[in-house]
Amino acid sequence: MAKKPQLAVDTRPWRDPANNKPFVRIKNVTKKFGDVSAVHDVSLDIYRSELFCLLGGSGSGKSTLLRMLAGFENPTSGTIEIDGQDMTDVPPYNRPVNMMFQSYALFPHMSVEQNIAYGLKRDHLPKGEIAARVAELLALVKLQDYGKRKPHQLSGGQRQRVALARALAKRPKLLLLDEPLGALDKKLREETQFELVKIQEQLGVTFIVVTHDQEEAMTLATRIGVMNQGEIAMIGEPTDIYEFPNSRFVANFIGSANMVEGTVTADEPDHVRIRSAELGCDIYVGHGVDCAPDQILWWAIRPEKMALSREKPESPFDANVTTGIVEEIAYLGDISVYQVALESGKRIRVSQTNSVRGNPDAITWEEKVYVTWHDNAGSVLTV
Amino acid sequence: MFSRGWFLPIAAALGFSFLYAPIVSLVIFSFNESSLVTVWSGFSTKWYGALFNDPQLLGAAWLSLQIAALSATIALVLGTLAAVALVRFRRFRGRTLFSGMVSAPLVMPDVITGLSLLLLFVAMEGLLGWPQGRGMLTIVIAHATFCTAYVCVVVQSRLSDFDRSLEEAAMDLGASPVRTFFDVTLPIIAPALISGWLLGFTLSLDDLVIASFVSGPGSSTLPMVIFSKVRLGVSPDVNALATIIVGIVALGVLAATLIQLRSKPKKARA
Amino acid sequence: MSTTHEPTIPPPRRLRPWNAVERRLARVGITGRMLVLAAPVLWLLVFFLVPLAVVFGISLATKQFGRPPYSPLLTTTEEGTVQLTLHLSNYIRLFTDNLYVAAYLSSIRIAFIATVITLLVGYPMAYAIARAPDKWRNVLLMLVVLPFFTSFLLRVYALSGFMRGNGVINQVLGIFGIPPLAMMQTDFAVYVGIVYTYLPFMILPLYTTLVKLDTSLFEAAADLGARPLRTFLSVTLPLSIPGIIAGSMLVFIPAIGEFVIPSLLGGPETLMIGRVLWDEFFSAANWPRAASVAVAMLVVVVVPIMLLQRVQGAMVEK
Repeated sequence: MAKKPQLAVDTRPWRDPANNKPFVRIKNVTKKFGDVSAVHDVSLDIYRSELFCLLGGSGSGKSTLLRMLAGFENPTSGTIEIDGQDMTDVPPYNRPVNMMFQSYALFPHMSVEQNIAYGLKRDHLPKGEIAARVAELLALVKLQDYGKRKPHQLSGGQRQRVALARALAKRPKLLLLDEPLGALDKKLREETQFELVKIQEQLGVTFIVVTHDQEEAMTLATRIGVMNQGEIAMIGEPTDIYEFPNSRFVANFIGSANMVEGTVTADEPDHVRIRSAELGCDIYVGHGVDCAPDQILWWAIRPEKMALSREKPESPFDANVTTGIVEEIAYLGDISVYQVALESGKRIRVSQTNSVRGNPDAITWEEKVYVTWHDNAGSVLTV
Repeated sequence: MFSRGWFLPIAAALGFSFLYAPIVSLVIFSFNESSLVTVWSGFSTKWYGALFNDPQLLGAAWLSLQIAALSATIALVLGTLAAVALVRFRRFRGRTLFSGMVSAPLVMPDVITGLSLLLLFVAMEGLLGWPQGRGMLTIVIAHATFCTAYVCVVVQSRLSDFDRSLEEAAMDLGASPVRTFFDVTLPIIAPALISGWLLGFTLSLDDLVIASFVSGPGSSTLPMVIFSKVRLGVSPDVNALATIIVGIVALGVLAATLIQLRSKPKKARA
Repeated sequence: MSTTHEPTIPPPRRLRPWNAVERRLARVGITGRMLVLAAPVLWLLVFFLVPLAVVFGISLATKQFGRPPYSPLLTTTEEGTVQLTLHLSNYIRLFTDNLYVAAYLSSIRIAFIATVITLLVGYPMAYAIARAPDKWRNVLLMLVVLPFFTSFLLRVYALSGFMRGNGVINQVLGIFGIPPLAMMQTDFAVYVGIVYTYLPFMILPLYTTLVKLDTSLFEAAADLGARPLRTFLSVTLPLSIPGIIAGSMLVFIPAIGEFVIPSLLGGPETLMIGRVLWDEFFSAANWPRAASVAVAMLVVVVVPIMLLQRVQGAMVEK
């Protein structure tokens, strides 16, 4: 019998939770400040060597959650376990966790070397060992020649790297990063993103990153936890979060989405039909959905999942085609975003790749166009 | 013209000469030979000599220096604790009363502070037998009380632009709260502590009114001795004394400014 | 850099000496906060708040010979009942004796006039410093603060030497053939004294508000057609009101109770309440009367003090 070629083993432990032990286990954690819940009943498992991003707007509770992992805040209820040990009541200075602060929090009265060595000195390591480790870290972040400088003599990007080196110095099991790239300008941010991922993969340390920047989260993360008003709205890999949002909040928060309301007219195991007055046509969804006939629900679709044409395209199920007038065009170079006013008055956005150079035949303002999409292009949302 | 013209520089120049002319003239006349303070009759340092041979004045100066050092030190501890409480403890019961008590001595007229403390000391002596009589101890207590307010203001302003995450970073790297205080908090607020102490020291050294109320027989401070001399008219040795004090203070303020400038590099936040 | 290492951190050491101490204190209900607060709170209660209460109490006693030189408020009669004796005579005297009423009014008048002059002298200086080039600003500020650190008493003394009959001013005037002015021992000398000694207290808060004003505000006003004076009146002045109030209160409040300036620069007819209190205490040895004068003075300054605190609170929050 010929052997089948072996497929690469899936290295994503969260896809097989039954056989993998989570490294960080947050169980039913709630944090109240006075009467306000900053974090409400959050449960989350994070696996070894993950680069997990907590993504959310300001006040979503993401930073509070991070501070609880570091030990700066104590949960009002719930437990936090790291590598099988209950850390809920362990003070920050006794946790095998280090943090890189948003402001970097470099000690201004200490040199770069002293900053990096600070945590090692607290562990009473021998001097030689500390010096070796500091040199190693300076090399890692490419700051070999800057050891004697004070933080205020460094550029923003250099400070960010010192902060990273200092947080890595004690070989933490878990590194927490609070908006690690927030203070850098756009260009530097893009370079640093990849550097960060490289270092994380090289060291195999588990990273938990807090960010409000969805692009950053998409680039860095193995998985993303989207937070909203103190709760986790969705956990998933970047593609899941973007392509298969579980709620209107997530669909709107990540990227841009057209959202319409509709009523279920046919609910079959292999397809669903939704009538939408806003859209001016029926939506045919090519898979089963957990819903009931006549239920009102929402349907979201990304602008790039739709196509524009001057002629009416084929519509096999007499659905998934609507028509409108082009109102606005935003030319962004690689793509153009068309705002189309439908007959109901609803405006939708459709993006088209500019694959033809200086296309003279491109659809233009005030043209009547047909908008169409595939059976599985949109997401049906019940919440 | 108002904003760009000559008005502002001239006004400022006149203002500064108003501030400094009397002091400059006093310094000049301290080297005057004549005992008539305002008629120049020749250069002499004899008033400086007289100063150092006046045991009453020297004794008072020594007492004042001791009082100033002690009360500034007490005020440093109390004022720093008060500032930490006001900046770090956002809400606690009696906060308004506490912050009022801390800052009211800043503007309380000296005569009220002096009289009230004296009456307290007398009442306490009657009830508890302590403090026995009045003298250095009671002056130190009185000075420490109003200096606390000044130290608190200075330290408070430094602490309120202190980045809390610096302390969190130290704890995150394994330092206990006490260790964090000594490794991170203290070095960073040290310049404010030094200026607070110096401020308390000079204020104590300067005080006449409060000390007059709460001092006892045999414990006259330097300002009290100067006042009794000056009240009787002009005395040239006071000119000499004033010159020495102005010199010391000018050096001190200069040093303090340099320390401040050095500890506060252009980018204060790391 | 080795590529993979298993973290080598030992399990957390939970017991550090500080934790143990903290836990033990927490058990009896003592938190770190209480330890920090205890010392300053106790000190200020005993040496600031209680004394004010004592002053109020003694102001209700009368003068008597002996130690202490005032009548006790609480006495025990032969039958063993405790009797509380309060005398309002001191307060009645305050309102009926023209000396006290005149002294209060004149203190307020002198402090007010002096405050206005200080503001007029200090505002242009503060403004000039705030608009000065960066490198000059610190030097100028230091020049403002420097006299504040030299002895207050000696500065008043220096001023008296400057203004007296044969002082520097009159000698300079003499050169131009102008007859000497009698400046000393007048209310004028007291105004000059207050302006001279309290000028830094006016300049510093004014400077702090003025330096924070965004220069683009002036540019915007000019761009919209306002002339410099108009810009000043409609933009700068209104925005610096917190500084004006804070500075004025910092001068007005201590000036009301001033003792050294009127006694060294003022004449015998310069009535100020601080001086009256001093004389009542040191010359007349009437402690209860002095205490009642102090209470009345406190009533006068309490409103300005509250105003100051509110303005300062607002300035800090910005």
